[in-house]
Amino acid sequence: MESPLDHFKIHTIIPIHIGGLDLSINNAVVAMWAGLAIVVGTFTLAVSRGVSPVPGKLQSVLEVALEFIRNMVFEFIGEEEGKKYIPFIATLFLFILACNLIGLVPGSYTITSQLAVTGAFAVGIFILTLVIGFRRHGINFFGILVPPGVPKIIIPLIVPIEIISMLARPISLAVRLFANMTAGHTVLAVLFGLAMTGPLWLGWLPFGFTIAINGLEIAIALIQAYIFTTLTCVYIGDVIKLH
Amino acid sequence: MPQFEDVHFFSSLIFWSLISFGILFYLLKKFAFPPILNALEEREKKIRGDIEDAERIKKEAQEIKKELEETLQAAHGKAEMIVQLANEEAKKLQAKNLRETEAKVRQIQKDAEQEIQSSRNKLLQEIRSYAATLTVASTEKFLKKVLDDADKKRLVAESIEQVIEELEKQRN
Repeated sequence: MESPLDHFKIHTIIPIHIGGLDLSINNAVVAMWAGLAIVVGTFTLAVSRGVSPVPGKLQSVLEVALEFIRNMVFEFIGEEEGKKYIPFIATLFLFILACNLIGLVPGSYTITSQLAVTGAFAVGIFILTLVIGFRRHGINFFGILVPPGVPKIIIPLIVPIEIISMLARPISLAVRLFANMTAGHTVLAVLFGLAMTGPLWLGWLPFGFTIAINGLEIAIALIQAYIFTTLTCVYIGDVIKLH
Repeated sequence: MPQFEDVHFFSSLIFWSLISFGILFYLLKKFAFPPILNALEEREKKIRGDIEDAERIKKEAQEIKKELEETLQAAHGKAEMIVQLANEEAKKLQAKNLRETEAKVRQIQKDAEQEIQSSRNKLLQEIRSYAATLTVASTEKFLKKVLDDADKKRLVAESIEQVIEELEKQRN
């Protein structure tokens, strides 16, 4: 019998090796592209028809999504500052959501269940927040390590704690998404394995659970995309406002 | 777990996911987000503007209504005042007319009385002279005697007095 973790395995489809780096196109990348193609296709369909002040069904859906993201950005970063981050945050949300959801299609792959990918995004966002912070506040950006109202005597103690908490941010961001996706898919694989191996009179039970958990996974895919982008907003907002 | 076993895939996964994210970001930022976000903002602006307009118009309407009511009330007051003034004027005019008419009537009465008086005097004078002539003529004839002037006058006066007395007696 197959291990429930087998579907996390990656198979190379088109091998590409450049300078000792493996840049092969594999099943995970293809699945991700499929998900992104749906995103691009949806937006192309909506925009190519022409955006009208009175929106159609598709435009309404996309408007609701963008308005939701916009309000989130405004809430955590601020209306003036946040405006230029809307496209980035919205793309991040749509990217993670598309990758999460396409993974639920049987036989495809969830690229967000790869810690390397979530880690790359988390580290990238961490670096981005540092860049924004230093560009905005210069040397004063180190003030983020000293929360306001802290007695001077505690500062030597609080600075290392703040540094650790800052460094923990990308780690928690990466692990949260990776763990949620991996766990969900593992549970699905285990349940479906039970359904396939058990006799029919018993097998319908785990199969029913598979369907139920699948529904739950759709919710989790949305929630995790939301959490990832919300925390990104919070981190960007933090370095802009410095507490 | 396979995620930690096939380490050589990491480079490809990270590379392609970041590249794909970059392309997606570029495409959406360039073509998809601006029109949709603009539409959102424009609609919000329009709705806000419409609501503000409606509120402004409502306020204006209320002000106009208030003004009209005030004007109406003022007009009512004015009309009442005009009616009152007209009544007073009419009363005054009536009183004046009455006074004038009374004065006129009195004047006419006085004139008539005067005329009557003067007619009466004139008549009496005529009667007197007529009676005198008559008396003289008749007395002359009667006495067949011509009197001198002094007697004539005396006699005439006597006759006249007599005639007048008789006339007065008759009247009374």
